[in-house]
Amino acid sequence: MNRSAEFAGVRRLELAVGRVLRLGITASSVCFGLGLALALSRVDVELARPVLTTGLIILLATPIARVAVSAVDYAREHDWLFVALTLIVLLELAASVVAALYGPL
Amino acid sequence: MPVLTSTLALIVFVAGGIAGSFGALLGLGGGIFLVPFLHLVLGFPLRSAAAISLSTVIATSSSVTAGRSGEHLVNLRFGMVLEVATVAGSLLGGFTAQLFAESTLQRLFGLVAIIVAVVMFGRLNRRNVMLDGTADPGRLGGLFHDPESGGPVTYRIKRLPVALLASFVAGNVSSLLGVGGGIIKVPVLNAWCGMPLRAAAATSALMIGVTAAGGAIIYYGRGDLSPLAAAPAVLGVQLGSWLGLNAGQRASVVWLKILMAAVLIVVAALMFMESAR
Repeated sequence: MNRSAEFAGVRRLELAVGRVLRLGITASSVCFGLGLALALSRVDVELARPVLTTGLIILLATPIARVAVSAVDYAREHDWLFVALTLIVLLELAASVVAALYGPL
Repeated sequence: MPVLTSTLALIVFVAGGIAGSFGALLGLGGGIFLVPFLHLVLGFPLRSAAAISLSTVIATSSSVTAGRSGEHLVNLRFGMVLEVATVAGSLLGGFTAQLFAESTLQRLFGLVAIIVAVVMFGRLNRRNVMLDGTADPGRLGGLFHDPESGGPVTYRIKRLPVALLASFVAGNVSSLLGVGGGIIKVPVLNAWCGMPLRAAAATSALMIGVTAAGGAIIYYGRGDLSPLAAAPAVLGVQLGSWLGLNAGQRASVVWLKILMAAVLIVVAALMFMESAR
């Protein structure tokens, strides 16, 4: 691959990663803001809980989404070494989700 | 765990703001400041403080990295290589955190803070740059524009096994203690692996998000991560890291390191005092 094409690829992935992270952090912050307002103002304490939990789950999922986007991008570039590395990271994250859901391994 | 009132939420929000702005200035998650505050001042159990801090680390990592996208400071490829090690370390940390007594975790926190402070003092003026912008950075190296020297900067990665080992330890410490782990990775990447400080900090800022997620998910599953306590901390850190990111353009790297090292010594002393009680 020539140098300038590689550079353009790096830039595209960097911008895609930036978009995923910005989307995740915005969505979770909106949920957190809304949930806190509901909980502390005592307008609807019942609704606050699921809203806050949604915010937290979006937050926890954001870095995972970033890794997944990288995997897709490396696959499009036929960069199989990096597809493999990215999938290993995703598998490790999957292991932590499994551990969280089903207790100690 | 303290009951979250409006007042406590406000305090957590402000603490998050301060920790977040320091974190963004230093290229760290800010957890090294937030965890001792939540634990020593507000009385959260260390495990809960760590879990809350990990969720703010994800937030800082995401917003700092998103804010920098397009600048090439973040080395995505090298970051992904190291993430294999950091996330493995963070999984292990998530499990071992459940086994350790709180006083053990406190002493560990103090020890880590001291080590990092010493490393920082010892390497105040180190820079690893090839000022020739046309030099070959290799498969994992990078090229970025440095506002401080006013030109393109190229670097090559040296000693990959050292970087991987440091990343594994950083990931482990990250989920055990709720810090980003940049406190371990950044000095190592800068001192031994050939990365300029700014690139090392930016790449670390990217990695700590996915590392913290590995640990935070386990804490959440065990019931140590309350969404109600995490929310004000995360929002505070969001605001703080935005402020820190904008101030960071003007701040000197040497002064940042001295400031950071001084704060860490104080944190370490407090943690040891607490563990001895």
